[in-house]
Amino acid sequence: MSDQLVTVLDWAAILCLLAGSLLSFVAAVGLMRFPDLLSRMHTAAKPQILGMLLVLVGIGLRILPVEETGVFDFGTLILVGLFQVVTVPVAGHIAARVGYRTGRIRRDLVVTDELAERLDSKHRANEGPEPDPAQG
Amino acid sequence: MNDLKTRKKAGVNALRRRLGKVQIPVALGMTLVWMMLFKGFQLRPEALGTAAVGFLVSVGIMMLFPLPPISPGFRFWPLQCVRLFFYVLGKMVVSSFQVTVQVFRPGPPVKSSVVAVRLRTDADLMLVCTAITVTVIPGSVIIEVAQPEKILYVHVLGAEDEEEAEKAKENIHMLEERIVRALGTRENIADLEAALAAGKGSA
Repeated sequence: MSDQLVTVLDWAAILCLLAGSLLSFVAAVGLMRFPDLLSRMHTAAKPQILGMLLVLVGIGLRILPVEETGVFDFGTLILVGLFQVVTVPVAGHIAARVGYRTGRIRRDLVVTDELAERLDSKHRANEGPEPDPAQG
Repeated sequence: MNDLKTRKKAGVNALRRRLGKVQIPVALGMTLVWMMLFKGFQLRPEALGTAAVGFLVSVGIMMLFPLPPISPGFRFWPLQCVRLFFYVLGKMVVSSFQVTVQVFRPGPPVKSSVVAVRLRTDADLMLVCTAITVTVIPGSVIIEVAQPEKILYVHVLGAEDEEEAEKAKENIHMLEERIVRALGTRENIADLEAALAAGKGSA
């Protein structure tokens, strides 16, 4: 590969890495600034995903001209990205669900809440005509 | 002696049952992952061995931990998949910027809403794909899934009034449509199109 092309690739890689780390920084700031659990979930899981993908692309561009990369190559990068994208939502969902169900959210920050309506109606249906004393 | 023979027979039968649980497409997918882990995609004699060992390992895993098959499975529509890929990528970039703005905006904390989105296809796999993609796109997190009714409850960051909540719902429906068109079986797509036609008729 010509030297010029390698330089161009290097610069593209640098841009990707910088953008990726910037997004991760935004995520960290959001984690500090947002007031409640659900909003924090967003920053903890999200800019991080795009940030990480950008960092992976950057690494990929960096190792493109390298002939011998050891056990580490594009396959590894693709796998890292794939499994991050597939598994992060699962963890995020569980945290959000538990947080919501145990009431660790700030009601004043939620404008419309269609899940609360559902849970309320379900709760009432469960109680039936005669309220269970054990529940109260 | 007879006892040993019957036991041997039972063992062979159990092995055969386990072998029946092996799903070839899934095994091929696992072999692909194996090849990626061990640099199997280079033209050299070892690549063939890597593939063979990978296949054996995946068959072994599926015999040890058998799982029910995913029904009705999925189909791969290449063109629509490419469209879906770029759509999701574009959404990710745009919403990353939005979340960044919300993070650095001075003043009172950003508000949000929880919206219920009813999906229009019945398949579990489509539900899972939609849920994962919605969560991957910044600004929305799934907090609850109502299974038989196939409703997703999504927390949308920055949806401060009804109008924006409606817009978020529309976005998720759009995403579902793209996913079903890219990965759904023919029945899924037919379901979706029927729902779309019905929606247009009532509106």
